[in-house]
Amino acid sequence: MVDEFTQTLLGIMVAVIMLGMGASLTPRDFYLALRRPYGLFIGVVSQYGIMPFLGFLLALFLVVHEKIALGILLMACVPGGQKSSIFTYFSKGNLALSVLMTVTSTVSGVVLIPLILTIYAAALDIEIPREDIVKVLFVLLVPVAIGMSVRRLNANVGATIEFFGSILGVLFIVFIAVTWIPQNWQFLLNTTSATYTAAIGLGLVGITIGYFFAKSLRLHPRNARTVALETGIQNGPLAIAIIVFTFPPEQQQAIMAVPALYSLFIVIVSTCVTFVFRRANTAAEQKMPDSLL
Amino acid sequence: MVDTDRPWQAYYGANIRPVLDQATYRNIPDMIHSVAETYGKAKAFTCVLPNGMNGTLTFKQIDEMSDAMAVYLREIAGLSVGDRVAVQLPNCLGFPIAAFGILKAGCVLVNVNPMYTSEEMAKQFEDAEPHVLITIDMFADKVVEATRGHPIPNVIVTRVAEFFPAMPRGIVGLVQKYWDKVLKPIEVPHVRLPAALNAGREHIKNDRIEAEKYSQEVTLDDIAVLQYTGGTTGVAKGAMLTHGNLIMNMEQAMELLAGDMQKGEEVILTALPLYHIFAFTVNMLSFYWLGARNILIPNPRPLSNLKRAFENYKITWMSGVNTLFNGLNNEIWFRHSPPKHMKFAGAGGMALQAAVAERWREVAGCDVLQGYGLTETSPVLTFEPLGKAREGTIGIPVPSTEVACFDEHGQKLGIGEVGEIAARGPQIMKGYWKKPEETDNVMIDDWFLTGDIGVMDEDGYFRIVDRKKDMVVVSGFNVYPNDVEDVIATHPGVLEVAVIGVPDNSSGEAVKAFIVLSDKTLKQDDIRSFCKDHLTSYKVPKRVVFRDELPKSNVGKILRKDLRAEEMAQIAAE
Repeated sequence: MVDEFTQTLLGIMVAVIMLGMGASLTPRDFYLALRRPYGLFIGVVSQYGIMPFLGFLLALFLVVHEKIALGILLMACVPGGQKSSIFTYFSKGNLALSVLMTVTSTVSGVVLIPLILTIYAAALDIEIPREDIVKVLFVLLVPVAIGMSVRRLNANVGATIEFFGSILGVLFIVFIAVTWIPQNWQFLLNTTSATYTAAIGLGLVGITIGYFFAKSLRLHPRNARTVALETGIQNGPLAIAIIVFTFPPEQQQAIMAVPALYSLFIVIVSTCVTFVFRRANTAAEQKMPDSLL
Repeated sequence: MVDTDRPWQAYYGANIRPVLDQATYRNIPDMIHSVAETYGKAKAFTCVLPNGMNGTLTFKQIDEMSDAMAVYLREIAGLSVGDRVAVQLPNCLGFPIAAFGILKAGCVLVNVNPMYTSEEMAKQFEDAEPHVLITIDMFADKVVEATRGHPIPNVIVTRVAEFFPAMPRGIVGLVQKYWDKVLKPIEVPHVRLPAALNAGREHIKNDRIEAEKYSQEVTLDDIAVLQYTGGTTGVAKGAMLTHGNLIMNMEQAMELLAGDMQKGEEVILTALPLYHIFAFTVNMLSFYWLGARNILIPNPRPLSNLKRAFENYKITWMSGVNTLFNGLNNEIWFRHSPPKHMKFAGAGGMALQAAVAERWREVAGCDVLQGYGLTETSPVLTFEPLGKAREGTIGIPVPSTEVACFDEHGQKLGIGEVGEIAARGPQIMKGYWKKPEETDNVMIDDWFLTGDIGVMDEDGYFRIVDRKKDMVVVSGFNVYPNDVEDVIATHPGVLEVAVIGVPDNSSGEAVKAFIVLSDKTLKQDDIRSFCKDHLTSYKVPKRVVFRDELPKSNVGKILRKDLRAEEMAQIAAE
């Protein structure tokens, strides 16, 4: 359960995060996404092919309540998040590709998310409020567009919004940890280990499959690391916003379980993966000129 | 009418005057002020941080603030004409204010590298004896130790986001302090730059002082800048560059661009540090004079720090060194969306490798033209004329400049003869600060000897064969490391390369190549056989070693001398 105050706060936070995401983008990023269909293809396949299917399998084979299964599916179907860029940076991945994949999956999500959700929900025999989800997705694209125009008008305001957006991205996780966890403590104790398996597995297995998918396309190791992180790291705040704004309050607790837990665990999972990637990163790296200042 | 002594004049085209008149201005302050009158509220300098946060000052603001700076230096710090003021700043809005203010006060600017250790600073301070130091909070912790030998009573401190709007300024300050932890406590008495400017303004208002009066006594022959350099002998010394040197070089550099650059319309990127003479004269002075907007990058490392500047501004010109262009060629974001509005780029500071220039043309879709010069020559001596560049050359001399090759007896050589490049013109320094014997070593009458070995073709294009001291003698044959490096650099698996000579029992000296690979599977023999296809056998490196990186100077020049020192130390140890 979340009270109304928390719900409003969550909404505002997600809006600011999306605003910040918009402020980090330029029209050129979209233009580039369109001009490079290969990158687009990889982004769409990993984000809307691999992840939803993984979510579907987890929901199908783990013995969970229908509402929990819906949460797994939702979490699997949202686009890539901004946090993937941070981990890509520390993994010495390809930042440009990371941004490109996030942009692609966020924009194409308006069409693809409801479509894929409908298919898998039907397969799992779960009901979803499709129109409401589309509405929320559209509403959340508005701050992205605003963020982009603000940056164009004033780079300082843009950079400031982006700064607060990325801080909020971190605070959001803290916020979940200090509000949602205590409020739902009993629920978390009673829920089965399958819920936790899904919350952790979605990220961990997603990253692993993403990596081997990229490898199978013979991508450069740097790009493979990027695709891996981009695949496994989802936009947690967006999933939570969809739930808060489309489902009745009494259903939210169970549906939100996996997205909330996922948002917490993905930080740990990605950090570990980053360490592995950094260790593996030896050869063929682009080197910065050492000393220009 | 072509001068047979100056065949290059045929390549100037209609727009370029072969000889420039006497400087248009009385001194640099005169230029600063009159340019500000013309461009007034247009944007002059914009400092851009990696996240896109920025601050901008107009021509009028720069003029007003540098007036206040000058008044502070004269009235409050109590300086007189000719007193030295050290400036130790990365590219930021404080730089032009400090530099212009010092010159307006009739004082001498001493550029100090912000990355210097306190020992290096101390050496320079002891030689230049500055009365005031203008520095940045990030590096101010070195001041205590650096001023032990020569105390500096007045320290003015600025910060990287100075004169930014309040919000970004605050954010940058907090991030630097608590996240990056780069701000250490400053243990010397100091005044903040804005406070110094306010104090200057108070004097202007209350005592009706006009900053203009300070520079009235300054002539073109007075020293404007002490620019430190290792020079040809390696001993650090200050080249005395006069107001006349800098104004003339600014006009010379711009003359060659006449017609290609529009007054008041260009937006240029300054990623090279302004304390370096190339960026100081060409980026700061010349483009200010042209009324361009100057995008200042405090720290171009890593190169992704430049991304926002390229995205947010329509850059029409940029300057760089080989390392910078090579780096950008290899950046994915740069390759994906190269700057659309760039007319061309200017390279200097070190030899631009043909492979890098070629790749730049493919990636950025515009030319990169190389200029050549030295600290002692303010710095520009030659430049490749747009559309008439010739691969492998450093172009032709700028107007009002004579360049020729000299043999070891000081005799002028003819076309095609290899010798030491010498130059004369209005940009040649007045001499080395307090080192007349060093000055004598590099001057033959009014000709300045560059220490570079080169050759002139029949059209007056010059080609550098190598640095005098870098030449390797293999069994009596001269090998110029640049020739070998140029070949190795064209190998697709090679990222960077440096070549030096090492002692060798059989050949006297042998060629040794240090290589940073992008394709780590390559073996020594691959490189050698590649060289054999392209070079005479005595030039092929006898030894090849692979490194993760190469030693570089603060502007990104690969330091062969460090590699040589390493080699010597190793031999001594054996």
